[in-house]
Amino acid sequence: AFVHIVMISCYTSLVIFFIPWAAMHDAVRSDGKDVADYQSFALLTQTSLLIVVSAQMFLDTNYWTAINQFFLWGSLAVYISVTFTFLSNGLFFMFTSSFPFIGAARNCLQQSNVWLTIFLTCLLSILPTVAYRFLLIQLNPTISDKVRYKAKEEGQPTPAPYRPPARRVSTRRSSYAFSHSRGYGNLVTSRKFLRLRKPSSLFNRKEAANLCKQLIFCRI
Amino acid sequence: MMASSYNAKEEDGRNSNSSTHGGAAVAKSKKPDNTAFKQQRLPAWQPILTAGNVLPAFFVIGLIFIPIGIGLYVTSNNIREIEIDYTGSESGSPCNDCSTNFTWNTTTPCICTVNFTLNQPFEGNVYMYYGLSNFYQNHRRYVKSRDDSQLNGNIKSLKEPSKECEPYRTDPVTKKPIAPCGAIANSLFNDTLELFHNEPNGRTTAVPLAKRGIAWYTDRTVKFRNPVGDNLSEVFKDTEKPMNWMKPVYELDPSDPENNGFINEDFIVWMRTAALPTFRKLYRIIHKNSSSTLTLPSGSYTLKVAYNYPVSSFDGRKRMILSTISWMGGKNPFLGIAYITVGSICFFLGVVLLIIHHKYDSRNNSADIPN
Repeated sequence: AFVHIVMISCYTSLVIFFIPWAAMHDAVRSDGKDVADYQSFALLTQTSLLIVVSAQMFLDTNYWTAINQFFLWGSLAVYISVTFTFLSNGLFFMFTSSFPFIGAARNCLQQSNVWLTIFLTCLLSILPTVAYRFLLIQLNPTISDKVRYKAKEEGQPTPAPYRPPARRVSTRRSSYAFSHSRGYGNLVTSRKFLRLRKPSSLFNRKEAANLCKQLIFCRI
Repeated sequence: MMASSYNAKEEDGRNSNSSTHGGAAVAKSKKPDNTAFKQQRLPAWQPILTAGNVLPAFFVIGLIFIPIGIGLYVTSNNIREIEIDYTGSESGSPCNDCSTNFTWNTTTPCICTVNFTLNQPFEGNVYMYYGLSNFYQNHRRYVKSRDDSQLNGNIKSLKEPSKECEPYRTDPVTKKPIAPCGAIANSLFNDTLELFHNEPNGRTTAVPLAKRGIAWYTDRTVKFRNPVGDNLSEVFKDTEKPMNWMKPVYELDPSDPENNGFINEDFIVWMRTAALPTFRKLYRIIHKNSSSTLTLPSGSYTLKVAYNYPVSSFDGRKRMILSTISWMGGKNPFLGIAYITVGSICFFLGVVLLIIHHKYDSRNNSADIPN
């Protein structure tokens, strides 16, 4: 598994550098000005890296709750806002030597060949992972894969409504002990036993039968 | 895109430890609240890589990429470009004399001319670039050797440039600060290129070259500013020119005060360091003229070079490039070819996976899940 990860990392690193390198080799903007400068190239590589990493996380996350969505899309949004902030006029005037990349985002990210390069880089980095995982699922499915597949086929049952688990009465008490306890008065008048007419899927039949035996009054 | 299954995660938080502390619920209950968030029952979406997702995705990507690639390739092929290498390192080439006889202290520039022919006419705006090879503008120490506050017109930085500019910070003889300081400014490209069209009737006309509008808008208006003052030579009077320059910075373009000093567009273009050792930078623009449709008709041309920039010491090469531009930039067939390649690989991979899926699908469906 380590070798596998190393191979994927090497491949992705090479893709993320060399595709922009080849695309920017003698490139210029659509109005003739430079786009193959150091700052634009760095921005291009950085953006494609961020998107590749986010896409990998997308593939690796198994359960997408609202929190996951927020953080993943949020991190991309924060990256975009931070990029434009760092490359804005204001920060350049305040801290001139620390933010020399001024204008790079506005000039570089407008170009369609830059976006096409980013798109190509990201896709080329993700495709092997997707293909490999799909192949694994097809050829060597693990149990969790099979379960998920079956669950998808059959459809998930709607989640059972939340109910407090029925009170388990101890099975070991003798009738003598019963006679000294409070008895069934509360239970009978509380109509709780009525629910056991239709045992839910949460309980298997055996368990429901056991419970009914204790309470005597239920009918299945 | 992925198979979604509504999966409310249920984790029983009921078996908490408060029930072991005796029936009296005087002690604060340690059970987490019965909210969806704390009981980890948030609605979730579960991406599953099934054949129904992945295979159509591969095919769709393949089908999208191939036309994009073809479009890019065709666009790139329609761009006209010509490169004229005028380094003059080989004996017999036009600029060989200038290249071999270069000295640093010449007052009169060495002029050499290169003749070339355009086989196809250039239409629309034609952009003239100078290209350098084996020139590492991306060397780290070189890239840091500049003072952006000085270039922004900060008077304090003008008199005291940043330490990053060493050893191009102060003039060794006069001890005055150098404006603009740093190695990038010091190595400014100072060849002058002129283009002449040799018409069939024997006349030679100069092709009009526009020198404004070659730098980025943000660079020209925000990043580079002259220090405040009407007379530039007054403003720069206590500074020295960089060591390898022939003229001081306020004489870069005396005819146009908007293009003089730090805001000279050739200077700005040079200061935007290139990412790769072989690069091209915009030098001049030949605007399309409204009278005739051909900006540069096919025929014989002459390039006249004032050879000021030495590249032979590091085996560099210099060239002049004339190019038309499209929506995707200059002539770069790589993107087109890459898109076509990736699209076909995707499509092919999709077909292979489809075959594998058909062969092995029965294994998936009949497999028993051990309980």
